[in-house]
Amino acid sequence: MRTYQSLAFRTAYLLTGSAADAEDAVQTAFVKAWRALPRFRAGAPFKPWLLRIVANEAHNRRRSERRRIELPLRATAAQPSGDAAPSPEGAALGRERREELLRAVEGLSDRDRDVLACRYFLELSEEETAEVLGVRRGTVKSRTARALARLREEVDA
Amino acid sequence: MNGLEQALRSLGRELDVPLAPDVVSSVLGRIEPRASRQAAWAGSRRRVSLAVALVLLAALAATLAVPDARSALLRILNLGGEQIELVDELPAVEGALDETTLGEPVTLDEARRRVGLRLRELERRPDRVYLLGERPMAWFVYGPLDDVRLLVSQTPQLMVDRRLIAKKVVGRDSSLEETLVDGSPAFYLSGSPHVVLLLDERGNVIEDSIRLAGNVLLWQDDDIAFRLEGDFTLDEAVELGESLRPPSP
Repeated sequence: MRTYQSLAFRTAYLLTGSAADAEDAVQTAFVKAWRALPRFRAGAPFKPWLLRIVANEAHNRRRSERRRIELPLRATAAQPSGDAAPSPEGAALGRERREELLRAVEGLSDRDRDVLACRYFLELSEEETAEVLGVRRGTVKSRTARALARLREEVDA
Repeated sequence: MNGLEQALRSLGRELDVPLAPDVVSSVLGRIEPRASRQAAWAGSRRRVSLAVALVLLAALAATLAVPDARSALLRILNLGGEQIELVDELPAVEGALDETTLGEPVTLDEARRRVGLRLRELERRPDRVYLLGERPMAWFVYGPLDDVRLLVSQTPQLMVDRRLIAKKVVGRDSSLEETLVDGSPAFYLSGSPHVVLLLDERGNVIEDSIRLAGNVLLWQDDDIAFRLEGDFTLDEAVELGESLRPPSP
């Protein structure tokens, strides 16, 4: 449980935008996972199976709250490796762009945001994302492509 | 990976996610009372042997003409957020539903009371509710009887047996796909299934007909067998299944 609780919490937090909801979702998901363990298919990857249950619990809480998700950036976001230290103006501009991108992600539909969160914020593979979201791998591909296209439109607008 | 994808990945690493709380003790606190009860139950031999298997027979019916409306299909379903008029979006299943096969019509409140467990529901209330048999099997009907969009049944104390399903589910005009619903193994039968075989607590086979000429999703969770019938794809069925949840207290 300790091995996965950080990842589970991060997943739930990114899907709910609330630490309290995320903690509640993780607790319930762990209980459900424990009960479902006898039905867990031996040899199947455990992480996406567990995250699927976490994601479902997170979705349940998000549905009941019906509020817009707003994820914060760290106050001092790291610069991409290899970049020279930016000027204060450059850093502010970089942060502004990241905030803009984040707000654009938050403005997407739940479905688009979920697939992008899994693929890029949680850095799950297509296969893992498919398991977590309960869809086929091909569906992940197409959803991701559509979500990226919509995000690009938002950012370029 | 293009520039936008790289930017998203970089953004993900810059998100200010709070430190994960330690949930181990609270989770153990929720697990252990149940585990103790289960052990006591088994020890007292009161446990009914739930050697229940669900065997699907995919019979061959005449090829269903796929309605044109099928291509118009569902709007994108929302996993979270403001789902769930999706039941309205599902195409009607061909052929009227025979109400007498569903049992006794009851109100939703009466069904909740008599079934003795927290029936899971979609956000939208079912249009009709029935109870069948002594167990009983609860049926939720979405849509009018001559234009049914979705059927949901919930039956306590049944378990799904993967090996039996894998062995027995065969059919030239139907196919079986395995998936997950809320983390539980689930079985999606598409084509023209028309019969489900259930095993009761004593291992007796109970034949139960598919009520609609559509597809079927079956799974079991917390000793309840769930069954959806409708003209849905696997993904749609899973999303419907995962949208079922107990009503707020």
